[in-house]
Amino acid sequence: MKSLSSFGIVIVIILIGLSAYVIEDLPAFGDANSPANKYIRLFSMQSGAMEDQLEGGVIPIEIKNKIYDFGFNEENLYPTLEEGGYEIEWNEKNGGWDVLIEEGEIYFNEPIKYYCIKILGEELAVYRYNWPVRIIEWTEEETATPNAVTSGLADYRGFDTMGEETVILIGAIAVTMLLRRRGRL
Amino acid sequence: MIEWLMQHVLEKYNFWIAMTIILIGLYAAMAKGNLLKKLIGLSLFQTAMFLWFISLGDVGRDVMVTWGLKGGTPPIIWEKAIEEGYTYVNPLPNVLMLTGIVVSAATTAVALAIVIRIYQKYGTIEEDEIMERELQEEVRYAFS
Amino acid sequence: MTGGSAIPEEGVARRDVIIDTISRLIFPFILLFGFYVTIGTEGTGGGFQGGTILAAGFILYITVFGAKRGREKIPESVNTFFESFGLYLYNGSGLLCIIFSMGAVQFLNYPGIWPVTDLVGVAGSRAWIIAFMVEVGIGLTVMAAFISQYFDLAWKDEEEMVVRKE
Repeated sequence: MKSLSSFGIVIVIILIGLSAYVIEDLPAFGDANSPANKYIRLFSMQSGAMEDQLEGGVIPIEIKNKIYDFGFNEENLYPTLEEGGYEIEWNEKNGGWDVLIEEGEIYFNEPIKYYCIKILGEELAVYRYNWPVRIIEWTEEETATPNAVTSGLADYRGFDTMGEETVILIGAIAVTMLLRRRGRL
Repeated sequence: MIEWLMQHVLEKYNFWIAMTIILIGLYAAMAKGNLLKKLIGLSLFQTAMFLWFISLGDVGRDVMVTWGLKGGTPPIIWEKAIEEGYTYVNPLPNVLMLTGIVVSAATTAVALAIVIRIYQKYGTIEEDEIMERELQEEVRYAFS
Repeated sequence: MTGGSAIPEEGVARRDVIIDTISRLIFPFILLFGFYVTIGTEGTGGGFQGGTILAAGFILYITVFGAKRGREKIPESVNTFFESFGLYLYNGSGLLCIIFSMGAVQFLNYPGIWPVTDLVGVAGSRAWIIAFMVEVGIGLTVMAAFISQYFDLAWKDEEEMVVRKE
């Protein structure tokens, strides 16, 4: 055989071995609660008397300090968890308390879901919501388009789409520069 | 061993199917001599990557319980769907990969233009004959 | 005795009646479907999808009737105009919003300058911007780019065309 094809077969076998090593970290197919689709689990703590504080509408200090240790604090430009800046609601479908924080926007300034605190046995587990949850709940009210893919592409992420369209234009110009020899067609 | 197989192979079959097509495309782009066959391998590689990334967003399919054929609906917000208990598919992978598909088509067009120019200059598309002709010209240039 | 009732031109192969008639009948319906898909707010669709459907209609016409007659339908100046106009519409509306909101810089989030806001409200004017400024711009650019690439790849010079006689 030629040298290139044997080299190709060796690289294919190495990549099959690598994929068998990587597959343990991927989420299952069709899971509704995986980190890519809904929320991710940050940590869990022992709950002493924290449930009464949560029903009163105040986040306990230990949970707040541990969230700040993860990096979601004000130095990295995340919204604050100080007193009076958030609200707590009981969510029936997920079975936990939701922490709602206001971002400083010009139009439609309403509180948005950020964290979820659940009770599992004797511990409290803290989850953080992902971005697709926000775009499905707020796309009908902020932009009157029921199509979540178009409103995510053209309104929430409009600057990236502008760059991709420039790439298509430059591709058309490159073909013209390569293939014309004696002036115009 | 059997439990590892059932959990990691039968439940994540989207990864294995997409990985097979990726490896076929990679082998074709590396080991074939004809320039057009390399281009076909590259295009196959890109298409399988899009397939795997978009399949990460599917929601509501229980394979082990019912060999489920009941999945999520497309993400177009509609009041009747919420009443009947459907869940929406994750819209984020579709947003990110939609522009990539059209960019890959434009890139294939530029690559085909380069192959046409190579054919006009050398008269052949096989990689071995092009390398031989380049080596002969180098030898002739070194001895002149 | 298949087809070939039209007079064959110089440089084009002998033509068939069925392919000619059906492609001429179906070409405006492809364009109409492309314009329907390009406005993608109240259902599936979008700019990239609609642009490729529009380009597919024109490529069908060029494949059946030859590159010379296809060039008379879309001359080069019209093609270049559509390429630049689509990008100009999208970037222009974004730049206008950045200039007019000098304090807090917003990209496409400032519906105070468009005159539609008084009639429909803030949410409705955002839907109007998405449907008619962004998606139509993307559709025109993608259509013109694919047509120009197809012309460059499929053109033959005058001395290479073969004249066929029967």
